Amino acid sequence: MFRRKRTAHDFAEEIKAHLELEADELKDEGLSDEDARCRARRNFGNVRLAQERFYLKDRWAFFDRALRDLSFAFRSLRQSPGFALTAILTLALGMGANTAVFSVMNAVLLKSLPVDHPERLVFLETSNPPQGTGTIDTHETFSYSVYNALRNQSRGLSPVMAYVPLSNNKVAVRYGAEPEEAEGEMVSGTFFSGLGVDLPLGRGFSVQDETDHAPLAVLSYNYWTRRFVRDPAVLGKTLFVNGVPMTIVGISAEGFEGVDGGRSTDFWIPLQNRPELNAWGNPPDNGKIYTTDPTWWCLRMIARLAPGVSRDQAVAQLQPLFQQAAYVGLGMKMEGEKPPVLSFADAKNFYGFENMYAKPLRVLMALVGMVLLIALTNVVMLLMARNATRQREFSLRLALGAGRGALLRLLLMESFLLVSIGGALAWAFAVAATRVLGRWAQIESSLAPDRTVLLCTLAVLGLAGLIFALAPMRVALAGKAELSLKTSAATSNTDAGKSHTGRVFVTLQLAMCVVLLVGGSLLIRSMRNLENTPLGMKVDGLVVFGVNPRIPSVPEGRVFYVNLINKLRELPGVESVTIMNERLGSWWSNNSAMRVDGRPPDVANGGSNTVRWNIAGPDFFSTLGVPVLSGRDFADSDTASSPFVGIINEEFAKRFLPNLNPLGHTFGPDNGIATMTIVGVVKDHKFRSIDEEPIPMAWYMYAQIPVIGSMNVEMRVHGDPLAILPATRKVVQQMDPNLPLIKPSTQRAQFDTTISQQILFARLAGCFGLLGILLVATGLYGTLAYRVSMRTAEIGVRMAVGARRGQVVWMILRDSLLLTGIGVVIGVPLAMLVGHALAASLYGVKPLDSLSYVLAVVGVTAVALAASALPAARAASVDPLKALRTE
Amino acid sequence: MATQQSNDERIALLQGTLDLLILKTLALGSCHGQGVARLIQRNSEEVFFVDHGSLYLALQRLEDKKWISAKWGISENNRKARFYSLTVAGRNQLAEKSGEWQRLSRAMELILNGAMGPTSEEA
Repeated sequence: MFRRKRTAHDFAEEIKAHLELEADELKDEGLSDEDARCRARRNFGNVRLAQERFYLKDRWAFFDRALRDLSFAFRSLRQSPGFALTAILTLALGMGANTAVFSVMNAVLLKSLPVDHPERLVFLETSNPPQGTGTIDTHETFSYSVYNALRNQSRGLSPVMAYVPLSNNKVAVRYGAEPEEAEGEMVSGTFFSGLGVDLPLGRGFSVQDETDHAPLAVLSYNYWTRRFVRDPAVLGKTLFVNGVPMTIVGISAEGFEGVDGGRSTDFWIPLQNRPELNAWGNPPDNGKIYTTDPTWWCLRMIARLAPGVSRDQAVAQLQPLFQQAAYVGLGMKMEGEKPPVLSFADAKNFYGFENMYAKPLRVLMALVGMVLLIALTNVVMLLMARNATRQREFSLRLALGAGRGALLRLLLMESFLLVSIGGALAWAFAVAATRVLGRWAQIESSLAPDRTVLLCTLAVLGLAGLIFALAPMRVALAGKAELSLKTSAATSNTDAGKSHTGRVFVTLQLAMCVVLLVGGSLLIRSMRNLENTPLGMKVDGLVVFGVNPRIPSVPEGRVFYVNLINKLRELPGVESVTIMNERLGSWWSNNSAMRVDGRPPDVANGGSNTVRWNIAGPDFFSTLGVPVLSGRDFADSDTASSPFVGIINEEFAKRFLPNLNPLGHTFGPDNGIATMTIVGVVKDHKFRSIDEEPIPMAWYMYAQIPVIGSMNVEMRVHGDPLAILPATRKVVQQMDPNLPLIKPSTQRAQFDTTISQQILFARLAGCFGLLGILLVATGLYGTLAYRVSMRTAEIGVRMAVGARRGQVVWMILRDSLLLTGIGVVIGVPLAMLVGHALAASLYGVKPLDSLSYVLAVVGVTAVALAASALPAARAASVDPLKALRTE
Repeated sequence: MATQQSNDERIALLQGTLDLLILKTLALGSCHGQGVARLIQRNSEEVFFVDHGSLYLALQRLEDKKWISAKWGISENNRKARFYSLTVAGRNQLAEKSGEWQRLSRAMELILNGAMGPTSEEA
């Protein structure tokens, strides 16, 4: 269709030849040279029309015209590069920020699990576990016996799938010679088939595999790509998990990384029953592991509703079975105990994301939406201002015969160009931003924008494009064709200068800016508070890593750690070494009720008697730098054969042993199997996270309790803490070549992970605030500068009749201040709403924090004045004579 | 259906009229556009006035259909001109179309000269 056999030029040549031939002939018939030419031309008719028809012949006329319109629009934009650049950048920033936040929200809250019919899947939850049990999470985890009972029924749910991580962290794996770490889960045999996850390579597990506890592994597509560069030959090879050989039998579908939000599982193995592969990497408790310990509620469960069964029916059918199974192995229900109640949670999305991110993300989305509104109104104002000054151009075009359709096409094309360039930049910005955001928020699942986000972005861009084309159309058509002939350049625009639309826009922008600034400063002040929260220890110079050795028996485990501590102490630069069960600042902790002096403690005012406890090694508090208020630290001399000792914090003493000297009193777990004599009281400090409130804490000495497993090693070193790691790695591997250092990190960085979400949101909100105020400043400046230039003549007249320069400046500033005032009056109540919504994300700041509001108002006013300064100065420098002469 | 078909034929014929005239003119020998216009005008005893713009587009159309071919040459009075000549396909087309046209004009003649009964009173 586009293959052109003949150029338009050739055709024009032919017509020229025709005219000459015709003229020759007419001359022969007796006409003069001049007349002959004239007649020939007249006889021919419309030469241009013929040429145009030739040109359009065989062409897709619409497309062709669009192309020409596009190139025309491009030239017209190039004539005002400042305008084009500002508009495109404004769009790119506004849209980009929105696309980024929306794609995070999409990935976190809206995206479905990549499984078959996710709407038929449910997560199982319980109102509470039975008494006398230990849990990972009071609502979300179940015992193996409950799982066993539920999976063997088939009426309401089919199948019921259990899944449980091999560690609350990463687990040691080996493929080849070098030990590594990866995230692994044990799952039911029905896991892949029940979820409907495809395995592009190899196979999933079967029920038989689960029964046999078969040593098989399925790798996630991501892990396969990352670690094995998609080598299909890994199938059939061996992956050692905690030293246990597993045969790789399959690769899961791309994008499937488990059903928990925030985690990305690298591999799955069938549920095992070996002590070295206990759930959560825990050591066996009195020889019992998750399959044999009915008091340990540690499995998460997801299930598919049986065909034709509704959610309510399924719950009703399973409730009695569940309540019976809950007490299997626990004995009788205690007097007055509330029985656990089974319920279902939506499994359409990733588990756990909703609670963690929903509220702050929605608020962020609202804030960034305001940024977008500011950006769009800015572009609209820019376009209106630009096209108002083009009114003469439009009138002229109309006068020369352009139809309204042609003008609309021109405006559409210009806006199309702006929107598509801006949109492309915005998309690139969003892709980069989500990558950074994912790293900051430590969300391992992908946040990259997907098709849904693309469609939404395109829809918004399309709408914006239409608005951008139509808004200036009114102005463009306001001037009739006669206008260009009637009026002079200087006065033809005075009407547009008085437009109220611009003022309304600026006022709304200022209001939104107040909201953005209040939100941003509330979050930033929270972040500062969190960052400056004293941890109660000397955190600098500390480095921490995990080890998960194979421990055949408790005494051998103790020997391993004694050796490890002694060897690490000898490394040059190491000041002191200790170990602990739960890593500080990792969100993990053990919490349970305790006996104090042999009985449950009386707590004044019905306070909680929960104690947060940890298992610690020698020199624990001196290594951390936590002050010991009375008594002593743990020491190497505390062993299995010496008296059993424990240490508590101030809060423990205050709540359970008020007004007593705690030293010499005892505490122990509430099943009464052990009793520790308190030998030390330490100052309150942070354990689980930076934002935790003081809570009673207690520490056991690792060498004195009958459980031992993976530990975290904490070292205080001179100089850069991470520089000690290579030497440390060597020591650990000398002891066991299978052992990687698990998640090595400085203790400072480890604590920072507990506020990474708040830091992320604060930084984002801060950026949005800055972006908002920047856009508002440019918008305000643009509008004012434009209005002043439109009013040059008026200002000239004012000055000619005696207005002083100061009065002129005040006239401009007063206008901005008025707009700012109205904006603040609208913005402050809105900001209060946002502050209220943010309340849960604030730390140490009230939603009505007056400083934030004052700062926001002052900031907006300052920006408004700054943006007005230049136009005001320009107004003051108007030369009345010149202004009047142009009139 | 039948009326629809005859409609199509009529349009094709009307549109083809100029094409047919050009083909006939070129059957006498190759010629440039201006010559074709003159010849048609002259040979129709000035009944047809050819719109020159349409003529050149028609020439281009026929060339695209490969019924005529064109090349630049020099006219008898030493002017550069684009000369058109009939191809084999064009000659066949001319035979076919002139047959059609003759049948049509005969039919028209029959109807216009024959005794037509009075049409409906109301009309």
